[in-house]
Amino acid sequence: MKKRPFKRATVLLLVSILVVSLALSGCGQNSSQNSSNQGQQNAAANEKIIRVTVSGTPNIDPAVGQDYGSCTALANIYDTLVFPQNDGTLKPMLAEKWDVSSDNLTYTFYLRKGVKFHNGDELTADDVVFSMKRLLTIGEGFAYLFTDVVKDVTAADTYTVKFTLNKPFAPFVETLVRLYILNKDQVTQNIKQNGQYGDMGDYGREWLITHDAGSGPYTVKELQQQAYLYAVRFDDYWGGWDKDAPDAFKLIDSTEGATVRTLMNNRELEITDQWQTTENINAMSKIPGVSIATIFSGTILNVMLNTKKAPTDDVNFRKALAYAFDYDSIVKLFPGSVKAKGPVPHDVPGNAADLMQYTYDIEKAKEYLQKSKYADKLDQYPVEVLTNSDVPDLEKIALSMQANAEKIGIKVNIVKAPWISIVDMMSKVDSTPNACIIFVAPHYNEAGSILESRYHSKSTGTWEQGEWLQSKEIDNMIEDALSTVDKNERFEKYKKIQEVLVDLCPTIWVLDQAERRAYQSDYMYWPGAELAKQGKPVTSVMGYNFYFHDFKIYPEKMKK
Amino acid sequence: MLKYIIKRLFQGIFVVIGISILIFIISRVVPGDPARMALGPRAPQFAVDELRKEMNLDKPLPVQYYYWFKGVIKGDFGKSLNTKRPVITDVKEFLPATLELALLSGFLFIIFATIIGLLSAQYRDTWVDGLTRILSYVGIAIPSFVVAVLLLLIFGYLWPVIPTLGRLSSNITPPPTITGLITVDSLITGNFAAFFDALKHLILPAIALAIGPLFQEARILRSALIDNINKEYISVVTGYGLPKGVIMRKHLLKPSFIPVVSVMGLDFASLMGNAFLVESIFNWPGLSRYGINAMLNKDLNAISAVIIIYGVIFLIVNIIVDLIIAWLDPRIRLGGE
Amino acid sequence: MKNNISANENTADIKKKSFLSDNTREKLRIYWYKFSRNKFSILGLCIVLISIFLAVFAPVIAPYPQHVKEFVDYDKAGLPPCASYIFGTDVFGRDIFTRVIFSFRGALLMSVIVLAIAVPVGVLLGLIAGYYSGTWIDVIIMRITDVFLALPPMILALAIAAVLKPNLTSSMIAVTVMWWPWYTRLVYGMATSLSKEYFVKNAELIGASKPYILFHEILPNCLSPIFTKMALDVGWVILIGAALSFVGLGEQPPTPAFGQMISDGARYMPDLWWMTIFPALAIAFIILGFNFFGDGIRDMLDRGR
Repeated sequence: MKKRPFKRATVLLLVSILVVSLALSGCGQNSSQNSSNQGQQNAAANEKIIRVTVSGTPNIDPAVGQDYGSCTALANIYDTLVFPQNDGTLKPMLAEKWDVSSDNLTYTFYLRKGVKFHNGDELTADDVVFSMKRLLTIGEGFAYLFTDVVKDVTAADTYTVKFTLNKPFAPFVETLVRLYILNKDQVTQNIKQNGQYGDMGDYGREWLITHDAGSGPYTVKELQQQAYLYAVRFDDYWGGWDKDAPDAFKLIDSTEGATVRTLMNNRELEITDQWQTTENINAMSKIPGVSIATIFSGTILNVMLNTKKAPTDDVNFRKALAYAFDYDSIVKLFPGSVKAKGPVPHDVPGNAADLMQYTYDIEKAKEYLQKSKYADKLDQYPVEVLTNSDVPDLEKIALSMQANAEKIGIKVNIVKAPWISIVDMMSKVDSTPNACIIFVAPHYNEAGSILESRYHSKSTGTWEQGEWLQSKEIDNMIEDALSTVDKNERFEKYKKIQEVLVDLCPTIWVLDQAERRAYQSDYMYWPGAELAKQGKPVTSVMGYNFYFHDFKIYPEKMKK
Repeated sequence: MLKYIIKRLFQGIFVVIGISILIFIISRVVPGDPARMALGPRAPQFAVDELRKEMNLDKPLPVQYYYWFKGVIKGDFGKSLNTKRPVITDVKEFLPATLELALLSGFLFIIFATIIGLLSAQYRDTWVDGLTRILSYVGIAIPSFVVAVLLLLIFGYLWPVIPTLGRLSSNITPPPTITGLITVDSLITGNFAAFFDALKHLILPAIALAIGPLFQEARILRSALIDNINKEYISVVTGYGLPKGVIMRKHLLKPSFIPVVSVMGLDFASLMGNAFLVESIFNWPGLSRYGINAMLNKDLNAISAVIIIYGVIFLIVNIIVDLIIAWLDPRIRLGGE
Repeated sequence: MKNNISANENTADIKKKSFLSDNTREKLRIYWYKFSRNKFSILGLCIVLISIFLAVFAPVIAPYPQHVKEFVDYDKAGLPPCASYIFGTDVFGRDIFTRVIFSFRGALLMSVIVLAIAVPVGVLLGLIAGYYSGTWIDVIIMRITDVFLALPPMILALAIAAVLKPNLTSSMIAVTVMWWPWYTRLVYGMATSLSKEYFVKNAELIGASKPYILFHEILPNCLSPIFTKMALDVGWVILIGAALSFVGLGEQPPTPAFGQMISDGARYMPDLWWMTIFPALAIAFIILGFNFFGDGIRDMLDRGR
């Protein structure tokens, strides 16, 4: 075997491969370096963009979108009649002013004239009527805010809209931050026939997944499923533009730690999502030019206990779980957050200050467990705890619950599921687990919002109520409070409801979340982060903390 | 030969129908009302009922299957729960990225397996051979998702010279979509910046997928070469004084590739399976990542589509593999004709 | 070296198993000789024995057996490898070394159960289809087998595991469902040709029952390839199981599993690298071991050499 028979073929192949790969990598290095530098410069010179990571591709149909990413997108693409400010009050937006009838049943809004939709059409009262009707018919997203409230909506003239209510509803104007105004003509032109909505076909649903029909400061350029939403500035925006305002924003669908960190490091991301682990946030804070924003936004972390499923249908069993919960060590895992004091976050108007508190007390937990009807058959009734697999930090809570429940003899099984499955599981009482660990925020800035969306029977079947409380008494109390126009009286009623809830213990109220996000403080001005730094409140209406129109960006300050 | 291909295709059609029945059964075993899931918990009942009728959910199962399969043939897999749009649109969007990755990693492992196989046969029982042998064991032992995680650790944090995530840097303008393969499209349009950027993004996931089969194929090639060189016919043809090149090509390389190619079909299957994890790890926007998201979200229409498409791809690959073997092996080729 | 080992084994054989006939002893000696010709097979055997040992005695060996149950200790979270935690701790304050050792249990249990179900089912179907080859029984069984084989195994397993409730049982079902057809096809080929052999024809003429022919005449002649494939498959089942648990479709917390530990760890890279590296090494160790071992079994049962 002295002869090497394969030599020629090998050498030939090797040489050719070498040449090819050298050519590839060699030119690759040079030209790509050049071009990527060029690209960088281009980006630096031209692109004034803010990129934020979100969980899930935003759902930009105003009658469907409801989660954080969708709310952020909708707030920037569409306009609303009123606009939530950081101090918790509202300012006029599309509506210049409004009247309320003496019986509190008729609201008349006078629209701003000359507001242009992205396609150039003028926004009129017809569009408002259409938007409300479309929302009510489709019935998803924020429709439930209006379903039982709004009786009728009519256009009195081109610039006047009249809402008639079924019964007085005190925070009606507050809820209008969730009525995004669509361009009626544009949507109608893009309706797909043979849909589920009779004459209206599919009501434009398919088209509106990837297009917008709004009048907001930004307009959708591209929506790539499971990738991103890219929107650019609408030059003719009626609100005008600051010279340093961003030209575009991009909501990137990824909360994966490694991805987010790499993007931050490369300055390819301006603001992270709030689902990053504490470990990852701390690591990102070490990147030069990156700061951490800690913002209370009315979000509360709940362990929702299914009150219609054994063993959490027993109030004493629920109290046992609430006392067997190690609040302090959990709060420590979420820097900046504080222990929740009850069903309503401490920064939302109408929260009750002096409620009875559940504390970590194994002895008390055992005491309540003894009183429960499951005390002597615990092994037959394991507790199923559901966490969101996209948010790794929640697993820490689940495991802590598991360890502490074990101390009083309760077996806990942890179920991890992605968000969309959670929504599906919670749509039926039988498939809703005993305990769901979920963040919830009010939809408008008042205790009534969170009380209604969390504990009123009409929110059962949505991810916002895993309790399945279905108590006529509490429903009535909530409705009564919401129809009470006098503020002090209403807040007193809110307090009463919170007391009843604490006694029922349908939920373990864990903590009021301080959203922590890493952001590029060197070259971006983020109004919300600045306010939070000064200890001032930031709007708790989800999505409006990312009203990019008011941001400022200075790409020339970007350090590589 | 043609008859053989037609026969294989005919068999293939039956297999695809079989897969469709299998996946239909799997997807209907899952509890839940697909219409309600598609419209959301708060949607009014009339809309749900309307959609149930539209999806033929009110009919008995075999009838449902009939309508469903009729749709599938036309490319209508229904709507995705996740993306709220027709699954076929998603497939068109995500498939090219997966093809691009699979083609490159397939290309990598064939080329390098050949080189390394030749080298280790050439330098049998030297350190080259030993190293190949050890690496082939490493290739078997470390699952590709672990390789992917390790590559991410190395190139994402410790030595960030190659991009680790996505298909293209955000500052590069993507070429217009012609084939959907960014590397090809950018070459066609002469956008070299995009080409090299796309290639750089491809390299790590492609390595993660290719590294496992690569060294094993090299080992198989090596053994086949060594077996064949010692066979009598080589000394016979050498005795005839045939040119060395002809001996190499026709009598040594060709037969030695037969076992390699027959394993390649299986390797390609495991490559496609591994892509499900590797694409997610590298955030590669391909059909496999879409598929795994669909599976985790119980997005049944999307799951069905992805599985049927992979079934068809795997079928085609196997037919190609069989054809190559037939071409390499005169016994099969002549027998088949 | 090799000779020593086989010599020792021989004397042990003689002492312990003196009731065995000389013939059987001789067979065993040949088997061992064939198996141990390759030093990697011995290494594989050692790894397999160590893995089984770790799996069986995990509660005794592991320093913190409570860390695989309901346990968190956030004060000790994310400690790097040190004297008391040789592989470090995870973000929940649990000992990684303990969790790695316990992962051997789930991995081995899974492969044993999967093969214990898939092999008999697959072999039986293969025998029947092969024996009745050419009839409609053959057609039905083999077309169904073709359908299962027409998909990359991992994809089918992922899909099945995903639509079921995520837990170890589901992932075992998923892997079992995709595993049996390989044995059906393996046995089918052999059974088809064997059923034409004279000894089978003879048995038929004598009037032996069908089960007798299947299990006493045909099956024994298929055993070597079946055992070889089983030995090689253990590693593959462990790998697919790890892949399933990597995406969350396997053992549920707090019970550890290799894939789950690697995916958890990947979230905390590079700072908590020990959360990823040690489970990754462990899985490489066990798969490598079973592959070497499987190669050894193949050498041992291979009649050609």
